[in-house]
Amino acid sequence: MAEPQLTVEPEFQYSSLFAQAQTAVAGMWLFLAQECVFFGGMILTWVYARYWNEAGFDAGASHTVLWIGSVNVGILVTSSFVFACALLFVRAGQVRLTALALLGVIVLGSVFLLLKGYEWHLDFVAHNWVNDPDFPVKGPLEGGAKLFWTFYWVGTVLHAAHMVVGIGLVAYVLRRTLRRQFTPTYHVPIEVVGIFWGFVDIVWILLWPLIYLIGRLP
Amino acid sequence: MIRALARLGLFWVVLMAVAGAEFVVSGRHIPAGSRPLLLVFALAMVAVVAFGFMNLGRAPIIAKAFAVAAVFWLIVLFGMGSMDALTRNWYPVQHYSPD
Repeated sequence: MAEPQLTVEPEFQYSSLFAQAQTAVAGMWLFLAQECVFFGGMILTWVYARYWNEAGFDAGASHTVLWIGSVNVGILVTSSFVFACALLFVRAGQVRLTALALLGVIVLGSVFLLLKGYEWHLDFVAHNWVNDPDFPVKGPLEGGAKLFWTFYWVGTVLHAAHMVVGIGLVAYVLRRTLRRQFTPTYHVPIEVVGIFWGFVDIVWILLWPLIYLIGRLP
Repeated sequence: MIRALARLGLFWVVLMAVAGAEFVVSGRHIPAGSRPLLLVFALAMVAVVAFGFMNLGRAPIIAKAFAVAAVFWLIVLFGMGSMDALTRNWYPVQHYSPD
């Protein structure tokens, strides 16, 4: 049985669906521009704190769980790839493949968060909390190490919050996909959510060396 | 569609290869002051994600302008933020003892 064809009209203020899509994409990029400044300020604190406390900062970084941070890079990069595939599928009118790909993104994102949660548990067990009396780095390096761990907690929690929002948005477009509300000519919500998901991936690509790699060998 | 999928697959392979190279290089003994150069790998990955997966190259011109603006704001942010560290002069002082 042939699938029913969905006809979507642009909102009243747009001359066409194309113009509406262009505006939505531009709006997301504007949002991401301010997100760049938001995360940029955080990364600037890393630059500044490490500059004045290089040895202590790296001593703190050497206590991170390298394997989880590294596996999570692979997971997020793969999820961005799968999302890009979903966009291809919806443009080709392949609804089931689109839904499967979006579901894959949700699964990969959830695995990332589960691993991150496990890592936070390991960090607490290892007393890597700035107010913990058994903080593992003592002596002259303690101050710099605590600055690192402050950056670690703020950076990873903020990124995880973006991941939660991203998974929610992917679930939203998946629901609409399953209700067959997208067509090869109208699928801009998937495109816009994909841009956001790519940005969340980019943030982790930058946090990975800052948190795990640069201070790996103090 | 197969060609487009293969193109995306190629981007994924490149990203994993660059990430692998970054990981391997980070395991070598590089002076602490030079280790932030590892971010060059990360910036290359950012470019691949932005153009390969986020389709920045095919985005409307105003979206590209916002992306360029973000880079500009970051340059201002990091430039101004690093000004103190880059321009401060250090003068040796004699050891002070209250005794």
